[in-house]
Amino acid sequence: MAAPSVNVCVEAALENPIQEVKYDGQEVYVAPLTMSENLSKLAHKINFFKDESEEKGKPTSEGERETDEEKVLAPFQPSLWPWDSVRNKLKSALTEISVLYDVLSIVKEKHYMVTDPVSQDAPELKAPLQMIAKKKSLVSVCQILNTGADRLKRVQAEMDSNTQDNFLWELLQLRKNWRLKKVHNTILGELSYKSAGSRFWQGGTFEVLKTSDLAAEGDVTNKKSSLDVSIPSELEGVAYIQVEVKSVPDLIDLTSATLKMPASLGAVSADAYWQQKLETAHNVLFCKELFAQLAREAVQIKGSTPHLVVGNQILTNVFPGFQLSIVLCHYTGKEKKVNLSPTKPEHNHVLEHSLHQLLRKVHDNNLNTSPPHPVNSMLGMTKRRRLAGPQAMSRQELVQMTHSESILEQIVKQTRHAVLRIRSMNVIDQLAITMQDPQICAHWSCLNNSLESSVRLTITSYCFEANRTPLILIIGIDNIRVILREGGTCVLSFEENELRDFLQWQICQHHAQSVQTLAKLHGWQVLSAIVSSGHGDIETYGTTSTVMLASPKGNVILAFHSSPVNGSKLSVKKVDTSLESNISPAVTAAKWASLAGEFKEVNLSQLEGRNLTGKIDMLMARLTVLS
Amino acid sequence: MEGSSLAPSLKNIAPQQEYLLQGSILDAHRDTLLHRLRGLCDNAESSFEMFNDYEAVYTLRNSSTTQQNDPFLFRVRRALDHPDAADHIRYLGNAEIGLGDRRPTLVRACLDVACSKNVREFLTEMGFRMDHDYVARGVFFHKGRMKVMVYKIYKLIQPGITDAKNLEQLGNSHVVELSVVAPLGQEQIGEDMKNFADQLKPLVLLEKLDHKNL
Repeated sequence: MAAPSVNVCVEAALENPIQEVKYDGQEVYVAPLTMSENLSKLAHKINFFKDESEEKGKPTSEGERETDEEKVLAPFQPSLWPWDSVRNKLKSALTEISVLYDVLSIVKEKHYMVTDPVSQDAPELKAPLQMIAKKKSLVSVCQILNTGADRLKRVQAEMDSNTQDNFLWELLQLRKNWRLKKVHNTILGELSYKSAGSRFWQGGTFEVLKTSDLAAEGDVTNKKSSLDVSIPSELEGVAYIQVEVKSVPDLIDLTSATLKMPASLGAVSADAYWQQKLETAHNVLFCKELFAQLAREAVQIKGSTPHLVVGNQILTNVFPGFQLSIVLCHYTGKEKKVNLSPTKPEHNHVLEHSLHQLLRKVHDNNLNTSPPHPVNSMLGMTKRRRLAGPQAMSRQELVQMTHSESILEQIVKQTRHAVLRIRSMNVIDQLAITMQDPQICAHWSCLNNSLESSVRLTITSYCFEANRTPLILIIGIDNIRVILREGGTCVLSFEENELRDFLQWQICQHHAQSVQTLAKLHGWQVLSAIVSSGHGDIETYGTTSTVMLASPKGNVILAFHSSPVNGSKLSVKKVDTSLESNISPAVTAAKWASLAGEFKEVNLSQLEGRNLTGKIDMLMARLTVLS
Repeated sequence: MEGSSLAPSLKNIAPQQEYLLQGSILDAHRDTLLHRLRGLCDNAESSFEMFNDYEAVYTLRNSSTTQQNDPFLFRVRRALDHPDAADHIRYLGNAEIGLGDRRPTLVRACLDVACSKNVREFLTEMGFRMDHDYVARGVFFHKGRMKVMVYKIYKLIQPGITDAKNLEQLGNSHVVELSVVAPLGQEQIGEDMKNFADQLKPLVLLEKLDHKNL
């Protein structure tokens, strides 16, 4: 509890002593000293004598005498002028000082008095002590030098790496590659593709920082550059689009697709060079835009086959049994390690590259509109569209002009073509390996694009290359066009069995053709050559080719059947013209006499000869001789 | 058919307005300007787009009305370097310019139609007379929907013949034009154009010119 404040008054205490107290109680004070009286009182207190005797030893006796005189004088004249003692003391001090001055002037002249320094003995030196002392001093010297050297080294290192000049140089390099602008005190850069024609909603802005501001004081880090960039958080990490074509033979429906996480890539380290960081972020943005575009198209466009979009994966059927999956893989380095799936997914780099190219083409079309000629006309129209008015195009033509393909459709087409091409290649190679008899040689054309390729097949028999069956296959998106030997065309579907059957059929026709050629060589007569003969059972595919030959002398008939299903058959009939009895006048030569009759089948596998043509060649040669 | 009475009906048909800023630059400094424009506009990596146009202005004078000083103008433009491109007829309205106009650019109604090659004979048959013609040759840039043109006007000594011998330069400078054709009522375009023009400031001063004062 605070007590109420008490007023305290301060006043000077009465210092004047009381001289007397009168009978009536009144106090009479001693009058206070005047200024001069006070001063004289204080002056009395100064002891001039004492100072003199300390300075010099000589005039001590004189001073003593003086004080004696003073003391003698003092009792006699107590009420003398109070400054008297002071005056005397000052007078004696003057005397002393003049004497001293005289002595000094005499010494200076060096006639009568000379001063000499007093020589003193040098102190005795102790060697170990001296060495220790020297060592200590040297150590301190070394320390000073070391600190100086350290400072210089640090400054030098700083000059090499983190100076203002270096930062500006790096900034110049950065400016050459990226768009920068200065906003207040910070430098911002642009990561998006907007200047290249992109219309994506997400933009990337990165900030340029100086690493010398971030390093601690006195910490000389070994950084590669003095410039650092900070990427926005949604573009951190590494991303790529994974494109995979897999065959799922029993899964026609897409609902049971499994999401496989591919092997994780390393995230970009924080110490990486700024160009690398920026490029990675740039790529992340591009992949995001690409995937967003594909997902939008997959949902909106109603194609013949449904597309499935699940999270970051798009699945679609290209052929029955073949699935295309496009996955956006984005690793920020913060996810926990996922166990790698046992089957490593096969990433199709060509299709990924095509996707990138397609998106770039879209960007390009946004930006590069054909310039108007004359320049008054509107921007952004194609040349055809500009001519639509004057040329009076119909509505249908206009609608057709506006129709453009989406990226997803284009990539599906490319995938289809790729699958078809690979499959056809496999079929042809398989057939070429397994079939020794006629040799199949395939020349794939170098000039092809992502939607069309062509291959030229040649079927020949070894040693009988004069007869060659050429075939040209043009592999499109989902069908194969074939140009036959005679120049006719036919169209095959995407089934690979169809191609195999077709090639088998062509081989049979080739056999038949080579037999015909042999006839020319040997001089045999071709009685009939039918490509698609009607007799015999109907085969499951292809048709039977038949050739009938007669020997020059007419007594041997050879019948050759070649069918893709049942293989080749050769029958010989020997004719004895002498046995023939009823010969009608229509028959002009003996060989026409017996076209029908018994044919004996020849076991082709046991004939001598390298291939079928060779065997028949050998047989014909023998039969020609025999007859 | 007067120009002023046509303007309201134009707004119903195709409400297109042209926003225009014009300036000029001496021939000697044209290359500097072209390099600067190349950096500012789209398609910096491709080479310059040249154009060579022949424009003839046809007028229709109405003897029935008393106003003789407001003829109806049609500008017929043909590209000389691309003979297969269509001809164009352009109608430009009067610009609303004056003290009350605070817009940074010149705004006028604009109708631009592509037509077949026999447009000149057609117009002559309809009663239009050719007032004057000229050849404009220069470079064309675009940024977004802004068109930037730097061209030189050549006078034809004999009207109608566009051979090089017949051309005569008109002045020692190039005309610089910045134009956007857009529907009515978008004020942001004017601001964008002004910002773009500011970037060309020390080289060329683009401003709105009152054509009546020329």
